[in-house]
Amino acid sequence: MIYKWKRLGENSLFLMPSIILTITLGIYPLVWMLRYMFYDYAGYGEALFIGLDNFSRLIRDALFWESVRNTFVFAGGKLLLTLPLSLLLAVILNGRLRGSNLLRGIYFMPTVISTAVISVVFYNIFNSYNGMVNTVLMKLHLVSQPVDWLGPKHAMLTVIIVAVWGAVGNYMLLFLAGLQSIPQDLYESASIDGANAGRRFWNITLPMLAPVAQMVIMLAIIASLKGYESIMVITEGGPIGKTEVMYLYLYKLLFPVSTGSPVTQQLGYGSAVGFASAVIVGAVTGLYFFFSRKMNKVY
Amino acid sequence: MQKKWWGLSLSFMLAAGIAGCGGNNNGNGGTATKAPEAGTASPAATAAADTEGAASEPVQLKYWTDDRHDQEYIKELINTFNETNGENIQVELTVMSENYAQSVDIAFTSNQAPDVLRLKSGNTGEFVKKGYLAPIDGYLTDDIKTKFGSVIIDNVNRFDGKVYSLANTGLTLRLIYNKDLFDKAGIANPPASLQEMVEDAKKITEAGKAEGVYGFALNFKSPKSAFDRSIREILSLSGYQGLGFDLKTGQFDFAPYSQTIEYFKQMYEDKSILPGAETLDIDPLRAQFAAGKIGMYLSFSTEPGVYKDQFPTDINWAGALAPTLDGQIKGTSEIVSAGTWLGISAKSAHQEAAWKFMQYMYGDDVLKTYHEKGFGIAVVPSIVEQAKNPEIAGMEGFLVGEHDSLWPAVPNVTPEGATYADAFFKYILAGGDAKAITEDLNTRYNAALSKAVEKGEVKVTPDAAFDPLKPQGE
Repeated sequence: MIYKWKRLGENSLFLMPSIILTITLGIYPLVWMLRYMFYDYAGYGEALFIGLDNFSRLIRDALFWESVRNTFVFAGGKLLLTLPLSLLLAVILNGRLRGSNLLRGIYFMPTVISTAVISVVFYNIFNSYNGMVNTVLMKLHLVSQPVDWLGPKHAMLTVIIVAVWGAVGNYMLLFLAGLQSIPQDLYESASIDGANAGRRFWNITLPMLAPVAQMVIMLAIIASLKGYESIMVITEGGPIGKTEVMYLYLYKLLFPVSTGSPVTQQLGYGSAVGFASAVIVGAVTGLYFFFSRKMNKVY
Repeated sequence: MQKKWWGLSLSFMLAAGIAGCGGNNNGNGGTATKAPEAGTASPAATAAADTEGAASEPVQLKYWTDDRHDQEYIKELINTFNETNGENIQVELTVMSENYAQSVDIAFTSNQAPDVLRLKSGNTGEFVKKGYLAPIDGYLTDDIKTKFGSVIIDNVNRFDGKVYSLANTGLTLRLIYNKDLFDKAGIANPPASLQEMVEDAKKITEAGKAEGVYGFALNFKSPKSAFDRSIREILSLSGYQGLGFDLKTGQFDFAPYSQTIEYFKQMYEDKSILPGAETLDIDPLRAQFAAGKIGMYLSFSTEPGVYKDQFPTDINWAGALAPTLDGQIKGTSEIVSAGTWLGISAKSAHQEAAWKFMQYMYGDDVLKTYHEKGFGIAVVPSIVEQAKNPEIAGMEGFLVGEHDSLWPAVPNVTPEGATYADAFFKYILAGGDAKAITEDLNTRYNAALSKAVEKGEVKVTPDAAFDPLKPQGE
């Protein structure tokens, strides 16, 4: 018994750094935020208790709901392009391709490079007045006028393209790990039975990959709903709010940037928006888990 | 088992020890110019200490700034001060790169605040509210009051009757135009009215579109930044406060703003604005202007320095007064970011020494040279009188003249929903009902104003006799 307690003491000691960090950097800020949702607070001075006023403001806040809509458009577009593309690349690279290690590294590179750097580069590639894309398109006489890639019509498409470019390599690697865990004997047996490549993919690869795919898709959904960094650099949520996603809207409330005239932090309302955003992301993830529960069944 | 526990305890003690030994560099990512160590004091300080016969500990002051354009000159000044102050005060300069306000917040929260801070109109009010600044009234002699009196302004450097900072320079705002493109389009002078500006932008675009030249641009990636450097000045010269506030009634009224927006909308519909301006930052805009691709834009008196160092250019450009609503000058061009420069931390243990340093920095020679080197445009009357014009190409168009003056500060409020800049920019791009947008802005901004007044954050005193030609009174 004493030995058990000692073991528990030792284990707790090893867990202590993680526990302390979780409490100070995770739980405490969360409790802090939950409290200030009910206050009018600018980060200094008196915090004024206003009950549910922040939530009634949230309900009638057209900017917030527009950002929610933009988030779903952005996330949907990103997922629809990223997931099939990363799976396709993973399947190709899982074969005995020459130089597949090099290609793996190349595709994974965007994950390693800073998002801010990637975004600045893409801003220069897509900008209307001297961007590389327009220069190439005009040189090839595919367009007569520069396309306003970052304008109101195309800005969302542009930020989705950048997001896809940045994410494909990451999910490709996860799918690749899943693919490599599928026993080769299954493929060999199927080949002996006369199954072609398409059949093998459909009847062996996809079902065997399902548990991994479930986790990958979940990670992709959360990352897409929470992603805002590249948008912040490329368009700052503009033009006219066309690319303002939920977490960028939240960021601007909590960390407003002064362009000369004074700005005020809205920590109280920002906390309410943060809570609502987290609930939305949680709800979507929960729904996904419910509808994808069969994927967890390993054949 | 005993050994294991000893080992673990020892590991914890070592870890704690290592953490405790971590250097304290304020965690700000800025670059610091160290004051000489006590042991390696400047020759003057050493000599003073020798003559006194007792090497007392130097008073270490920390000065934080987010100004980078003047840092070499400020370093020189600080080195001179450290060597000559005669009171063993050593100032350490830290130049911030980004997020100055947040760094200051963190510093005050963690009791690592600097003793002296660079203050700007955008942050002074907030810093005062947060209790970061010490009032300097007790140090103001009659001479200082005489020298700076005309540029001590409520809610700029004086809050609730207490002074927190003094003026040095301000920024004038002008229309910046490419003379060569104007000539090529057959335009003799910069536009005096907004209608002329619309027509000129169209002519320049027609004359140069084949080479990718457009008549007008602004950094619309941040509509507020774009409008606060353009419409603000157009309105103040036209006789209206430039941020949508009516000083006569003490209420927000965006009707004049809305009139100005119509002309910007017209330029957008005429396709006279550089394509992609919707997501243009100020530096890419400057790069395009320096490359001769933009006919005109409006901005601050920082631009001559930008085209000297950041984007050197051969184009023939100049600064001129902003156009007005109807071509008539009915107000004065507002000098912005004026009234503040340095302030003392309320938490500083060396406020006397900090004031000594401030006194040195606010000396005539320092302020005069600051202006002459082109780091900013002097607004202190006695300095304006004695300083020579800066020798920077294009600066002559930005110097303070008869049509420039400081305006009263306006209340800073945060409305629910879109800001005036976002709402009007949306109107330019997507259209809508201008009257309804204006009324909605008035309603939301005045609601936020009432709320701020109620909370005691803002004081509003309507001035029915306010004269835009004499915004500071007589």
